[in-house]
Amino acid sequence: MLASLPKTAIPPEDEALRAPVRAFLREALRDVPVQLRAKSWMGYDAAFSRALGRQGWLGITLPVEYGGGGRSAFARYVLVEEFLNAGAPVGSHWIADRQSAPLILKYGSEAQKQFYLPPICRGESFFCIGMSEPNAGSDLASVKTRAVKTAVNGVQGWQLNGQKIWTSNAHHCHFMIALVRTSGEAADRKKGLSQVIVDLSLPGVTVRPIRDLTGDSQFCEVFFDNVALADDALIGAEGGGWAQVTAELAYERSGPERIYSSMVLFDAWLAFIRTPAGKTPESARLAGKLFSHLAPLRALSLAVTDKIVQGHSPVVEAASVKDLGVTLEQLMPTVIADDLYSRSSEEIPLDLLQALNYVTQVAPSFSLRGGTRDILRGMIARGLGLR
Amino acid sequence: MPIATTPANATPTLAMPTEAVDDLFAKALQVLLAAHCTPAVVRAVERGDSDVPGQVLWKVLDDSGFANAMLPESRGGAGLTLAQAFPLFELCGRFLVPLPLAETLLVRAWAAARGMDPPTGCEDLDWVKVAAQAVPLRPGLDTQPDTQADTQADVQADIQLDTQAMRAAVLAAQMAGAMQRVLEMTLHYANERQQFGRPLGKFQAIQHQLAVMAEHCLAAHMAAQIGCTPMAASPAHRLDYLPDRLRAGIAKARASEAAVEVAALAHSIHGAIGFTEAFDLQLFTRHLHSWRQTAGAESYWHQEIGRALLAAPEGLALDALRQVTDGA
Repeated sequence: MLASLPKTAIPPEDEALRAPVRAFLREALRDVPVQLRAKSWMGYDAAFSRALGRQGWLGITLPVEYGGGGRSAFARYVLVEEFLNAGAPVGSHWIADRQSAPLILKYGSEAQKQFYLPPICRGESFFCIGMSEPNAGSDLASVKTRAVKTAVNGVQGWQLNGQKIWTSNAHHCHFMIALVRTSGEAADRKKGLSQVIVDLSLPGVTVRPIRDLTGDSQFCEVFFDNVALADDALIGAEGGGWAQVTAELAYERSGPERIYSSMVLFDAWLAFIRTPAGKTPESARLAGKLFSHLAPLRALSLAVTDKIVQGHSPVVEAASVKDLGVTLEQLMPTVIADDLYSRSSEEIPLDLLQALNYVTQVAPSFSLRGGTRDILRGMIARGLGLR
Repeated sequence: MPIATTPANATPTLAMPTEAVDDLFAKALQVLLAAHCTPAVVRAVERGDSDVPGQVLWKVLDDSGFANAMLPESRGGAGLTLAQAFPLFELCGRFLVPLPLAETLLVRAWAAARGMDPPTGCEDLDWVKVAAQAVPLRPGLDTQPDTQADTQADVQADIQLDTQAMRAAVLAAQMAGAMQRVLEMTLHYANERQQFGRPLGKFQAIQHQLAVMAEHCLAAHMAAQIGCTPMAASPAHRLDYLPDRLRAGIAKARASEAAVEVAALAHSIHGAIGFTEAFDLQLFTRHLHSWRQTAGAESYWHQEIGRALLAAPEGLALDALRQVTDGA
């Protein structure tokens, strides 16, 4: 049975981060137009990520000895909430900060932590996620990319062959954490899978961007042709890949990015319907409806964060909040378009329409990334005891 | 206040284990309601052939002291805040208590805060309206009294009279409780009922419908908690028993939207049996629709919320969101 989540609040010491972050973002994004800010965490700017690193705002939950901030998940929540609502281009460091660094911290050796974590915190080392393959999408356990143990002149290592696809930002990243088969056959499913960290500059790695329907080239296919990996490319336990990936996905599904993907558009639309030219009773009512959905979602998202802070892995709750959240994220461009294009007036700001156009196009991805709607509902059904 | 103990002859017809009900008061009330507020009692009170079943139930509830839970300890109550009373309101929905028990808690707290003698009977919020006489409502976002524009007493008087917000907060909590019960009944049915040689709950289409129901229940439950987040404390007056109008509106709007979905999916999964008078599902789904139609359905509150949101100066919607979701 899925237990209800109790309402929680952000501790004051973490809330205190909000004012300085907001002041920084106001200055940094002053000249960025709304249609670019609407890209949310799909926006990419390596220099901006380094600037955040200099502020100490990357890896904020990591221990201080690895360059992190030593703060709680609520501190990160405040930062990310401000980034997303401002429309900051956080795509470069997004994956490293959200899940690669916590994964390395949890499963990595001391040497791996010292090598990988400090550059992540400086915004100098970007990661991507190597999960999907051409024939392993929702059915992730059927991955075929394989790492085989090697010994060349007595030096242990791995030889990597296979292909990943739909890898966001692989063409801009330094490393990929890939789920690969290290033993057994496809029929062994979840057994025999491991995670390896692949340096994407190694010989034998080919990255090809794929153009998406918005015209961006955000995701990629990545080929591995006899890539020689060092022995310590393995992260965590050999054969423990499935458990590690499941834990990683809980980070991926629980964050505020699952409720705020259309927030820049929502704010731009609110600004318009506050003006005499934009104000209508219908738009006020619609704003109220969207807000009445947002409020419990934010409270739920915080409640899931609280579970994580307490050391739980709220997999089913996170799946529920993500499914509810992306439903609202996808509803927003649909109903805002209906509102704006059902008026006789043509005095609608062009940049608002451009932002709407972008979010309308990108919205289908909201319920694909991080697990499709069907997968999430299956997880919830399992949580309800039906599977 | 006295805590009811489990009667030896308790017949827990509606009692289902709920992990969320961990509060002492809530556990005690759950036991009491399971024994004395059975579907048979709910049906008898609803039929209205006789006043006796309602009077019997009220006597049990009154004797238990629960109606005083929000009175200050100095007046024999437990001094529960609105947020602390939320689980009790939820249980009133879960068991379809056919008397205004939840409202009586608020009525008594309101009367005591005004220095009046709380009514001794079971009263709905109309009692407050009558007692306070006709003073115009002052709906709006301002939960923090503006001491420059209004005296504290004026604001307090206006706030006290927002019986619609009080009703909305209570109903949203009751709806969350009833929806959770509907979800449990539907899960139980889906696991029991066999078709095509297996339980309904093994079909992916049914599983996904139940997952959607669970999501709506989760959202409505959180919205109802927001609705029962009381006003900020005031130095001059006790306000922690009063809902804030905007938060109550959010709760009522979201719970009303969820109720339509949850009731429809429950009936869809139950099939014809759920359409019968004899099966208990209809008690809950009819109440959900009726509560949705009371104290403002979703579009009423959407207008109110939208107006409040747009009246705020330019700024991020996030700041308005933080205002309604932060706070204990």
